[in-house]
Amino acid sequence: MSTDIEAADPTIATGDVVVATDLTKIYGEGDSEVRALDGVTVSFPRGQVTAVMGPSGSGKSTLMHILAGLDRPTGGSVLVDGTELAGLNDQKLTLLRRDKIGFVFQFFNLMPMLTAKENIELPMKIAGSVPDAEWEARLIEATGLGTRLTHKPAELSGGQQQRVAVARALLSRPAVVFGDEPTGNLDSKTSAEVLALLRRAVDEFGQTVIMVTHDASAAAIADRVLFLRDGKIVRDSGRLSASEIFDTIKTLE
Amino acid sequence: MTGLVLRGLASRKLRSALTAIAILLGVTMISGTLVLTDQIDRAFVQIFQAGNAKIDVVVKQKPPFENVQSSVYLNASIVDQVRKVDGVKTAEPFIQSEGYLIANGESMNSTGGAPSFVFSNLPQNLNPYTPIEGRLPAASGEVAVAEEIAKKGDVAVGSQQKLATQDGIKDVTVVGILQYGNGDTSLGGSTTVLAPLGDVQQWWALEGKATAIYVKAADGVSQGELKDRIRSALPQSDLIVQTGREDADEQASILNDLIGKIIRYALLAFAGVAILVGAFIIYNTFSITVAQRTREFAMLRTIGASRRQILASVIGEALIIGLFASLAGIVLGLALAWGLGKLFAAVGFGLPATGLILSWQTVAVCLAVGIGITVLASIFPALRATRIAPIAALREGATLPVGRLARLTPVIAVIIGVLGGAGMAYGLISSGGTTGRLTTLAGGAILIFLAVAMLSRYIVRPVVSVLGKPIGWVAGGVGRIASENAARNPARTAVTAAALMIGIGLVVFVTIFVGGIKESFTGAIDSSLKSELTVSARGFGGTLPVGVYPAVKDVPGVQVASPVGGTAVQVGTGAYALIGVDPATLPQVYAFDWNSGSDALLGTLGKDKALVEDSIASSLKVKPGDVIDVLAISGKRAQLTVAGTYTDPTILNGIVVDQTALMPLLQSNATGVNTVFVKEDPSADSAAVQAGVEQALAQFPTAQVQSNQEQKDQAASGVNTILVIFYALLALSVVISLFGIVNTLVLSIFERTREIGMLRAVGTTRRQLRAMIRWEAVITSIIGGVLGVLLGILFGWAVCKGLESDGLVFVFPTVQIAIFLVLSIVAGVLAAILPARRAAKLDVLAALSYE
Repeated sequence: MSTDIEAADPTIATGDVVVATDLTKIYGEGDSEVRALDGVTVSFPRGQVTAVMGPSGSGKSTLMHILAGLDRPTGGSVLVDGTELAGLNDQKLTLLRRDKIGFVFQFFNLMPMLTAKENIELPMKIAGSVPDAEWEARLIEATGLGTRLTHKPAELSGGQQQRVAVARALLSRPAVVFGDEPTGNLDSKTSAEVLALLRRAVDEFGQTVIMVTHDASAAAIADRVLFLRDGKIVRDSGRLSASEIFDTIKTLE
Repeated sequence: MTGLVLRGLASRKLRSALTAIAILLGVTMISGTLVLTDQIDRAFVQIFQAGNAKIDVVVKQKPPFENVQSSVYLNASIVDQVRKVDGVKTAEPFIQSEGYLIANGESMNSTGGAPSFVFSNLPQNLNPYTPIEGRLPAASGEVAVAEEIAKKGDVAVGSQQKLATQDGIKDVTVVGILQYGNGDTSLGGSTTVLAPLGDVQQWWALEGKATAIYVKAADGVSQGELKDRIRSALPQSDLIVQTGREDADEQASILNDLIGKIIRYALLAFAGVAILVGAFIIYNTFSITVAQRTREFAMLRTIGASRRQILASVIGEALIIGLFASLAGIVLGLALAWGLGKLFAAVGFGLPATGLILSWQTVAVCLAVGIGITVLASIFPALRATRIAPIAALREGATLPVGRLARLTPVIAVIIGVLGGAGMAYGLISSGGTTGRLTTLAGGAILIFLAVAMLSRYIVRPVVSVLGKPIGWVAGGVGRIASENAARNPARTAVTAAALMIGIGLVVFVTIFVGGIKESFTGAIDSSLKSELTVSARGFGGTLPVGVYPAVKDVPGVQVASPVGGTAVQVGTGAYALIGVDPATLPQVYAFDWNSGSDALLGTLGKDKALVEDSIASSLKVKPGDVIDVLAISGKRAQLTVAGTYTDPTILNGIVVDQTALMPLLQSNATGVNTVFVKEDPSADSAAVQAGVEQALAQFPTAQVQSNQEQKDQAASGVNTILVIFYALLALSVVISLFGIVNTLVLSIFERTREIGMLRAVGTTRRQLRAMIRWEAVITSIIGGVLGVLLGILFGWAVCKGLESDGLVFVFPTVQIAIFLVLSIVAGVLAAILPARRAAKLDVLAALSYE
């Protein structure tokens, strides 16, 4: 576990955190066969925000699920921080998620009976490890929650809840944070706060973020934007403005 | 993770509390039972130890075979041998018999099942009773009475009173008022009169006999030493020589076996039922909450919780609920035992009680059962929780994956059901020991309950579609939605109903079973008795005074009176009743149901032939012509040739001989007659004859006369008392299952918050919403009630058929079953009150935006 904390340190960060090679995912058989992913090869370098976009059914969610070890590909390989996911059993996958992967969900998924601070610390508690106090303080400062840390999720706004979720994902300094429509359930103002926090996590803390999103303004903060259609990457671009992203999406649909 | 479990429980207070109640009530009953019976046990030990406090050694007759209902006597002259033993200071024969003082015309007998004693007097240095006024009786005709009697009957020292004895009413003079021990030991409602040994022997036809010989050691001789010396002076193997302490403990343990243990096991059986019902509810509650928390578990999995941690968190929750419920149950059990003690005392069923005793065994049993069952019931839901894939956290409307064994459920249920049926059948027809048979029977019934519970999910939809129509007529659209809701999750509805099914099923079963017992008795009176009146001893198993038969026989209007006597005997390894009859008169009062033989056989029985009841003949494997060896409780033996067999598991259930064959086997000097059947002259006025017999019995207060109807009524009232007790005990299980319905509804409403908001938004009134939830509860309770009634009938029928040879008759309790079905509907309505209120209170907007 110490290795990925070191690797997450921006001064040493080099190379690719997540490497996918020739991924295919096929649902069904014969006539009803659906190729959700059709030979996707892609690498994600450390210290970047990558947005994955595409119309419904393009395979973007499937790609993220497979990269995060939540789903298994029909073919191809995934390396997360140097570990090949293929062949890992449930226990090993669980430990990998615990140590190397953070998640931010569309519906926040906070535990309602725990306070904001306790929610942030939950994954570390589950892993039975003690959070780095200094790191935790920096993260909490970055969330801007301040006095609301002792509040339960029900007493927080959507934006505040999602910032708690981001902090939760970052506390263990994972190799990569996956976001599943992290702004999908937020308005534009609170979206901006959450996106700023994700951006800061990469710029200041050297984290790596891969998020699936429909939201062009969310993708506009990314260092890199991937566009998928019919299970294939159709465009792999550097930073784009919201209007450029919007145009690309239109051509895909 | 522990913190998470605790916080989770705290955040679901109502649900956690309702779940805990399911197990708490069962544990309360276990704890209450154990505390109460420990108390009874200790009280018996105290009574007998106080009784033997001054007695160093006891010499008793060893019964030839175990038969707790019969007293055995030794030869009183053995006391002469005892007195010669070196180290004996005092030795006295002692007789314990049953009788009571009639103080100023009023019977001073005990109430509520405790015995009324007449003891032979003992010298003060052996006597547990001390006069607090007057003195101990010395001359014939003198008695001393316990102070409770003196108070109740306003009996003064020196007054002339009457004593009810085996030999009729005797005139006595009260010479003393007595205190037991040092006055602080409760005798639990029993009454005591002391009379001189000679009087007791004569009045109870026990001349030359004694119940025991009590010995006081000379100074400096220890109990153990004296016991050894007396033992070597009395080497006869049929005598028991014990220290006073050993004798006290033995008597306490015999009485405890008779009373304490029976109460204990009977109550524990009902507590077991309550626990079983609780287990269903816990299983259901955990299943529902796990399903509702699918996304939460998935999220925990994505952020790194292992399957083992998920499993541990669910089981941990069960552990904590079980722990708290058990602790609360133990405390409530103490309160229950205290309350029951008061209740027993209030209804005159004075169980001798001492302070509350909470032993470590009670605590251990309660914790083990309470926590164990809760955890066990949560294992399957917990395993299902571990099967939730992490990816479910990312999907909306994620549902719990079906269990790996789900497809096999019907098959497993059928296998369990068949095993249960086999268990019940074995329990009913095997010839093994009673405990083993009862255990297999109960185990089989539990398995059948389980199987039906597992299968009942498949009948939910059909039942709902049948019930839906009438409910739709009555309740309109709301009724239809309620039916749909009940059928939406059949497994959930089925398990909720199954909890109620168990309670109702057992209620129906005991109704049939007890009804069968009652019918067997009344049926036997109708079919076997040709007589109109029956004279018997009051109380249990007593013999009639010698003078009763001659007195009754000569009452005007009595055509024929036929005396029947008996004693306990052993044949092979079984204990039976040896019944002595008068061959000349019996056929006129009693109709034999002959299997082999005829009434003509009676006159030929003589001293060495017997008639054997059919089921006894088959368990002894004898047929006419075979010879049986009979060992009477007196220690005397006889060889009898089986002359014929007949069927009567109720009235003459035993081995019938000529009374001249019975007499030599008796131990007392009395005739052993315990019943006189009286046939009236057809032309006589029945009421006048009965009044005449009552008149003739006035001098024999221990005897009573009953018409056949009165006998039936008495049996019915006894049976009804038992039934009421059973109902009260089973009511607990039904109440627990109501909590199950409440729990399921609360959880379902929680799940459907958004839906309820929508219904309210489109114009459903609060009243309609409450009605909707009420109907859902009623549908559930009808399913439980109907299944329970069906299973109860099945069990009742099976047991009545299985015990047919013991006289049990299957009677279909139509009225009661209708009542139980109505009650189960009422139960559903009651259970819906709280959930319906909660649902109606939901704020429309908040409910709509509920996530």
